[in-house]
Amino acid sequence: MTSTSAATAERLVTLDAPPARPRRRWPFSPWHLVLAPIALIMLIPLIWMLILSLETSSEAQSFPLVVLPSGLHFHNYVATWNSEPFGNFFLNSALYSLATVAGNLVFCSLAAYAFARLKFFGRDVLFILLLATLMVPYQVLLIPMFLIVKHLGMVDSVGGLILPNLCSAFGIFMLRQFFRTLPIELEEAARIDGTSRLGILFKIVLPLSLPALATLAIIQFMWSWNDFLWPLIIIDTASHAPLQLGLSTLQNAHRSHVNLVMAGTVMSQIPMLALFLIAQRWFIRSIAFTGIK
Amino acid sequence: MTAPAQPTTTARHRPPAWKRLSGSEHFAGWAFVAPAVVLIAVFMLIPIVWSLLLSLQANDLLAPGHYIGLANYKALAKDSQFRSAIGHTIVYTVLFVPVSIVGALALAVALDRKIRGIRFYRLAVFIPLVTSTVATGILFLWLLDPTFGLVNYILHELGLPQQQFLQDPNQALYCIVAMTVWGWLGFDVIIYLAALQGIPEDLLEASQMDGASRWSTFRSVVLPLLGPATLFLVVWSTINALQLFDEIYVTTRGGPLGSTTVIVYYLYQQAFQFFNAGYGAAIAYVLFIAVLIVTLIQLWIGRRRVYYTS
Amino acid sequence: MKRLFLLIAASALIVAGCGGSSGGSSSAGASPHGHVNITLWHGYTDVEATAIKKLTQEFNATHPNITVTPQFYGNSDYALQKVLAAIAGGKPPDISYLYGSWAANIATNPTTVDLTKYVQSPSWDWNDFWQAARNVATVNGKIIGVPALIDNLALVYNKRLFQQAGISPPTANWTWSDFENAALKLTNPAKKQFGWAYVNDAGEDTVWRFWAMLWQAGGSILSPDGKQAAFDSPAGVKALTLLQTLAKHNSIYLDNGSDNYPGVFTSGHIGMLWTGPWDLSQINTGQQPYGVQILPGDLNHQTISGPDNWVVFNNGSARVNAAVEFLKWFTSPKIDLKWAMMTGDLPIRQSATKQAGYQAYVKKYPGIGVWVQNLNNATQSRPVTTTYPKISTVVGQAVQSVLLGKAEPQQALSNAAKQVDGILSAPS
Repeated sequence: MTSTSAATAERLVTLDAPPARPRRRWPFSPWHLVLAPIALIMLIPLIWMLILSLETSSEAQSFPLVVLPSGLHFHNYVATWNSEPFGNFFLNSALYSLATVAGNLVFCSLAAYAFARLKFFGRDVLFILLLATLMVPYQVLLIPMFLIVKHLGMVDSVGGLILPNLCSAFGIFMLRQFFRTLPIELEEAARIDGTSRLGILFKIVLPLSLPALATLAIIQFMWSWNDFLWPLIIIDTASHAPLQLGLSTLQNAHRSHVNLVMAGTVMSQIPMLALFLIAQRWFIRSIAFTGIK
Repeated sequence: MTAPAQPTTTARHRPPAWKRLSGSEHFAGWAFVAPAVVLIAVFMLIPIVWSLLLSLQANDLLAPGHYIGLANYKALAKDSQFRSAIGHTIVYTVLFVPVSIVGALALAVALDRKIRGIRFYRLAVFIPLVTSTVATGILFLWLLDPTFGLVNYILHELGLPQQQFLQDPNQALYCIVAMTVWGWLGFDVIIYLAALQGIPEDLLEASQMDGASRWSTFRSVVLPLLGPATLFLVVWSTINALQLFDEIYVTTRGGPLGSTTVIVYYLYQQAFQFFNAGYGAAIAYVLFIAVLIVTLIQLWIGRRRVYYTS
Repeated sequence: MKRLFLLIAASALIVAGCGGSSGGSSSAGASPHGHVNITLWHGYTDVEATAIKKLTQEFNATHPNITVTPQFYGNSDYALQKVLAAIAGGKPPDISYLYGSWAANIATNPTTVDLTKYVQSPSWDWNDFWQAARNVATVNGKIIGVPALIDNLALVYNKRLFQQAGISPPTANWTWSDFENAALKLTNPAKKQFGWAYVNDAGEDTVWRFWAMLWQAGGSILSPDGKQAAFDSPAGVKALTLLQTLAKHNSIYLDNGSDNYPGVFTSGHIGMLWTGPWDLSQINTGQQPYGVQILPGDLNHQTISGPDNWVVFNNGSARVNAAVEFLKWFTSPKIDLKWAMMTGDLPIRQSATKQAGYQAYVKKYPGIGVWVQNLNNATQSRPVTTTYPKISTVVGQAVQSVLLGKAEPQQALSNAAKQVDGILSAPS
């Protein structure tokens, strides 16, 4: 490990300029040449959905794909929005997703911290037990979960959607791994200073874990936002349906109006992509590390 | 924040840590996990027990069921289709896990830099992940259509022979691997990206200053520090791969000729097509035990080889 | 502070979620004034969804004591999980649209209402429903469903491709060899053109077309006592050989279950389809001139129908009576023709052809008249037994293996027959 000294600080500054590299031939980083084609391949579904969403109904149903539509039928989006209570769908999905994200962030952080840093009786067995809940296929769990929610009187409500998904062993496992990579010295120092364990979690561990928390938030949001099967089982009334369930009312088994379905799908993806872009600001190197010897 | 004190001694020369603790540490531990445990116990553990009971019954979820002891499990042991499903699942998992993790690591490293537009490159990688499984299935069915699909078109232009892809019993499973790796890559990438953010900049620079090449810095500094994330992804990907279902359901439906029938798909057929829910639950339990064992092995290996900075 | 904020925010969201929908659960039941609320679960989308909304509203307006609330329960297989969950929870819907292939299993459920005594009353005119529909609604002599949908397979062909190939269009007397020759002539790999399309997902969609061919060749699925497989007869081999021949010549576009074939047809790449009215809305878009004809025949021109049922679940006698009253109204000749007119589904009553609005219906959906008449050819039905799904899977694999060129027809059918015999003889 290096020691922080004035000399090193100087060297750190000069390290900003790439040392003795061949002069750049292009005005941009060569990494673009690697990333751009990969990004293009990854973008294929979005491009495909966009194309389909702007075609006429018969063009969209053609097989093979009509890649160049006759015109850009933006009114498909308006038609789709009006054909179903999309405003309701968005609202229900937003409630569902935000609540599960909040729940997971809070409850998983608490539990993960305990598993990562605290020693208590039965800790390891409990951890395996929680992890085990990820190992049973959801198909067999749907009906008993429905029965429990029914006993709580929350069938056909957004609360019934949210409650079983407030905390997942996935989040606990992931955050535990991340917390264990943090240098324990900071926490021990704070402990000696008399900070409570909860205080350590909130004042030291979580601020250093922003990328992990942002990741958990993104993933949980995505799962809730894209959830179809659980809402199908729980929700009866159309006005309580979240987005994917609502979208399915546009689709029948024989794929009519593919263009409208794709318009609806594109619209439903936008909030997630926006969230991802926003969450990027937390994907930064934690600067608190510099200064530690 | 106070200045860091001298590192405290580890607990190496003392009796087992948990015995030395005051009751307050036990209490604190349990208090912290309590909300999570309650939620998961109610909504996951109870259903899991319910399914265990179901697996001991002959039950179609319509007519009242009756207990038959271990008969479902005994039948499973003789079920050759179940054995095939196991084989397909193992092949899938053994291919999916390493390919997706290595690919994601490479991609994450490529995305971990501050060039212009990096946010949009990351977004692009994220897109297959958020695309619904149904849409991905439809997309791939078109891409891989033997007659009209884009991939065969490209192969044709390159002078390569046309393939049957999802219609070929020998190729279908590998196509599914490709489809799911592509779809899940973004997930592993963001985990790795988050983990990479946790690697102190000065460590990397110090290593380079000491004369190490980029590659050996990566191997000896970055890779070990990504250990916890890698362990997490290996465990998580394995758990998921062994439970593959959705992508099969929206594309091949277990075919052609049963070549993509994996364990959970077989379970689904039994429970919701043949109205044999008790048998399906037994399949779920056998799978559960298998996944548990595999995970425990992975965690045990991880305990000995993964380096945590604490 | 941050902790407090987070916890409050989380709780608030949860409470908002719960509270905002406290009045949300479908309040179905009988009120003290004799007003009955019933729920109807369906998987309708698009025009059918609009139609069900309109018609239930019309019923509610004209029947002040009953309110029917239609609710969407997802598409196809997902619906079964939701229905099973509701049944497990003790609160099934009052009426549910259920696939005919589930009928035998649904009948085992104690809350499924035996409708025999209701529908036998003369005002129902039960025998006016098409035979195929009545077959699927009846399990072991008990009538557990009211016909909800009827269809059948007919031959849809591309007139332009026929002209280009110089073949005269299919007639009602077409034989298998006429069909085979046409399919071969319409095949043109250079233009990516296929003579025929066949669904090759090894599921029921693969199997039921084969059953139609089996019946045309004079075969049957099971022995008369229902205890043995009978499809591995020479008739079955003949049918499967036809498939094999066409597949070998690349005459068949094999759809792997994703239902792309209508799109391939409308882009002019397929000469003939064996399909039903459900594809008409896609075919009827003017891109290809099409014609409809009954299926080609061997010994006969039989076709196969895939009826579905409205099933009533027992939530108390008041609600059962209300449900029955609704279904009687909904399937009455006038209303049913109205439904057919709005959706393009086939009328479920034989007397529909004599009704005043029938000609307008046939005009609105060109070619639909052939399907209606073809119902007369749907004289046989698939066995309505709880083991049918397993039988279907076994036969589906057999047909698929021949289509993919991995097995010979006789061998594939013999293997399948052995497996089916095992399924039929296993204790249920």
